[in-house]
Amino acid sequence: MIVPFEHVLILAGILFALGLVCILVWRMNLIMLLIGIEIMLNAAMLAFVGGAARWGMADGQVFSLLIMAMTSAEVSLALAMVVYLHRRKKTVAADEFSELKG
Amino acid sequence: MEQAIFYILAAVTVVATLFAIAEKHAVHAIVYLVTSFFALSVIFFLLGAPVVAVFEVIIYAGAIMVLFLFVIMMLDLGHPERARLPGRRDWWPALLLGAVTLAAALTLFAARAPAVAPAGKAIGVKEFALALFGKYGVAVEVISMQLLFALVGALYLGKRREK
Amino acid sequence: MKLYLTLILLFPLLGGAVNALIGRKLPRRLSETLACASVWGAFVCGLLTFGAYRAPVTVELATWLADFDFAAPVTLYLDPLSLVMTLMITFVCGLIHVYAVGYMAGEGDQARFFALLNIFVFAMLVLVLAENLPLLYLGWEGVGFCSYALIGFWYTEKKNADAGRKAFITTRIGDTLFGIGIVWCFQLFRTESIAQINQMGGVVSAGVVTALGLLFLAGAMGKSAQVPLMVWLPDAMAGPTPVSAQIHAATMVTAGVYLLARMYPLFGASPAVMAAVAVTGAASAFFGASCALAQRDLKRILAYSTISQIGYMMLGVGCGAVTAATFHLLVHAFFKALLFLGAGCVIAALHHEQDIFRMGGVRKGLPLTFGAFLAGAACLAGLPPTGGFFSKDAILAAAWAKGGLLYGGLYGLGLVTAFITAVYTFRMLYLVFGGEGETTHRFPRVMEFMLPPLALLGLFGGLLNLPEYLSAGWLGRFFTTALRDGAVQLSPGGELALQGIAAAVSLAGLAAAHLRYGGARRQKRLEEAATTPRGMTAFLLNGWYADSLYRLLVIRPYEALAGFLWRRVDEGVIDDSLDRLADGLGTAGQGLGRWSCGRVSVYLLSFAAGLALILGWLAWGWGLD
Repeated sequence: MIVPFEHVLILAGILFALGLVCILVWRMNLIMLLIGIEIMLNAAMLAFVGGAARWGMADGQVFSLLIMAMTSAEVSLALAMVVYLHRRKKTVAADEFSELKG
Repeated sequence: MEQAIFYILAAVTVVATLFAIAEKHAVHAIVYLVTSFFALSVIFFLLGAPVVAVFEVIIYAGAIMVLFLFVIMMLDLGHPERARLPGRRDWWPALLLGAVTLAAALTLFAARAPAVAPAGKAIGVKEFALALFGKYGVAVEVISMQLLFALVGALYLGKRREK
Repeated sequence: MKLYLTLILLFPLLGGAVNALIGRKLPRRLSETLACASVWGAFVCGLLTFGAYRAPVTVELATWLADFDFAAPVTLYLDPLSLVMTLMITFVCGLIHVYAVGYMAGEGDQARFFALLNIFVFAMLVLVLAENLPLLYLGWEGVGFCSYALIGFWYTEKKNADAGRKAFITTRIGDTLFGIGIVWCFQLFRTESIAQINQMGGVVSAGVVTALGLLFLAGAMGKSAQVPLMVWLPDAMAGPTPVSAQIHAATMVTAGVYLLARMYPLFGASPAVMAAVAVTGAASAFFGASCALAQRDLKRILAYSTISQIGYMMLGVGCGAVTAATFHLLVHAFFKALLFLGAGCVIAALHHEQDIFRMGGVRKGLPLTFGAFLAGAACLAGLPPTGGFFSKDAILAAAWAKGGLLYGGLYGLGLVTAFITAVYTFRMLYLVFGGEGETTHRFPRVMEFMLPPLALLGLFGGLLNLPEYLSAGWLGRFFTTALRDGAVQLSPGGELALQGIAAAVSLAGLAAAHLRYGGARRQKRLEEAATTPRGMTAFLLNGWYADSLYRLLVIRPYEALAGFLWRRVDEGVIDDSLDRLADGLGTAGQGLGRWSCGRVSVYLLSFAAGLALILGWLAWGWGLD
């Protein structure tokens, strides 16, 4: 372990907070919103990998790989939906799509 | 030496991510993000996870980000002057919430007694592979199914319907 | 024997089922033939059973209700009483079915009519042949339902449908008490078999037997239209005339008498029950006869006379003279069916005119009907030597022989009633058949041909059970093979004297009717009848105002209660509170629904705020530690 585990976690926390801010700021652009999600997922992966190194077990790394696979599925679907929605309303602003309003 | 590299890379990651968030040009943001992910993959490598690091470069920086680029180009979104950009009203609640979250998380980390990092034994590729396909074999299967479903879903969504 | 008994029940059931299920698709002639053939088939089986009968038999056909030690299988019990009843029911109903073919010729919906008529016969036979009380109750309710459906057969007119409902609800009062009695029987005796219960009367205390007897009497009151549950029978004349003949004269209303005769071994031990039965019977007999005296509607006269005659039967049972009561039941079934069918012919010939004061001269137009009606009237009035004379006299003799103040008084009441009976019978006869008038309407001749057999049976029905001094009565001897008769025997001289008195009374009634309605005096009565009835006449015409009394005592308070429950409790409290609750929930839902704005960014912001809150709270807690 080259650095204390806490430092890895702090880095992951900062990245997560940045991803959160990205999501909250970019409501008028679905693509940037998705990028924010990617940043947060990366933060989670970093925490997993750090944990794996801390306790010397492979499970954390396996989970970060699974997160990656899951993310690729999610991104492909999400982007397909962005394309579909853009075709319908010629915009990618998230707030334009409010058909599910109660 | 390795510690210094870790901190430098950490700084690169955070700064690149910050730029990516603040960038109004989507394509530029993607490029910043790729930088950030490259730095992150090296951090992974430093933390003894070479396979994850390699996949980070190949899949994240290579495939997913390129997918984003393709969509941006396809939808012709690379014109920041046309789109509405986040104003001050968007920034301050986001920053406030982010800061509170981060501060709370950091407080929680700091409240822990600093653990003396024991030298965790290095994890080899073989160990990783055994854990992935042995212990988590079912999870791999489930993920593969999920990928298949995502493929079908994306095909369905992408089909051009006759109005 | 088992085969015959099964077929007796199966024929009417099959006929009814076929008519009910596919009767609409069948040609009219086939449907009618089927209905008549099934009843006559049952009659033939009844005759065969009669030929093969040696001793009482119990036949178990199937299991029906069985739970723990409760058992009510489909078991039939054949003894002289049920055998005679079966023969009478199938024969009279067979004639009435054929008559109905003619009577209903112009009416639609014959499949429903004949299906109900057949099922009615089936239910009545189940009632008569049942070996246990639940099965008897099945038949009991079956005839009740068929009666309801047939009274309201022409249900498109509200009056008819109301009459059906009235019959159903009124008899339901008695049926409920009877049902309670049945359940109580099982609780007391741990069995529902009639034969076993009848032998166990001594097991329980006399008070319990009395209470049980009163419950059964209440059931009999409802079904047999006895005071105070008699109000439904006159209104039941809204049904087609064959229905009136079949249900409200010959068969169904006698079910109460049959029940009491059947359970006589159990209740005979309780003087209180016997007295109650006798008093009910005598009161009903007097009530019915007095009301019949003032009626203007031909069928209503006959309906009130039915109440009166069944009252006689109840009186007979109350005196312990089961044989005499059954004897009168049989003879009454013949002559009352005859009178109703004759009345149907008259009504059909006069364009459905039922007011006797507008009739007249029918004897010239319908000589055959007149002859038959005359025979029936002689039976009803109890003129010697018709069947009605012997059977009625047997009951009165039993009351006299029982002696004592109560039964002596009942005998006197019975004599008075016999006088009134003769008067109203011949009043009816004079008004309908006397005088001048035209019968213009043609009706199927088959209807008239059903009258002579019944007339013969009514006239010579006395041969069934001749008094002791002539020869030992066949019916009495037949019954003593299996039944116990509680009647006190009179000396031949005494019996002869009583018969002389009865004959004199009925002849006096005839004379009184002749004096008032005969010859030229008929015209005067017709003029009187044109004015509105007053005083005593109105009182009798309206059936002692029993309907108004019940309306005042029962229906008004019930309606008020129902109205209160409906408007105040149901609509005011239950509905209103539910409406308010629904309104409140709807408003709350709409208010909460505004929170879902459908904008993703707001949701995300809420997520983030929640996350910040939770993490902040955790950090706060950690910081304090």
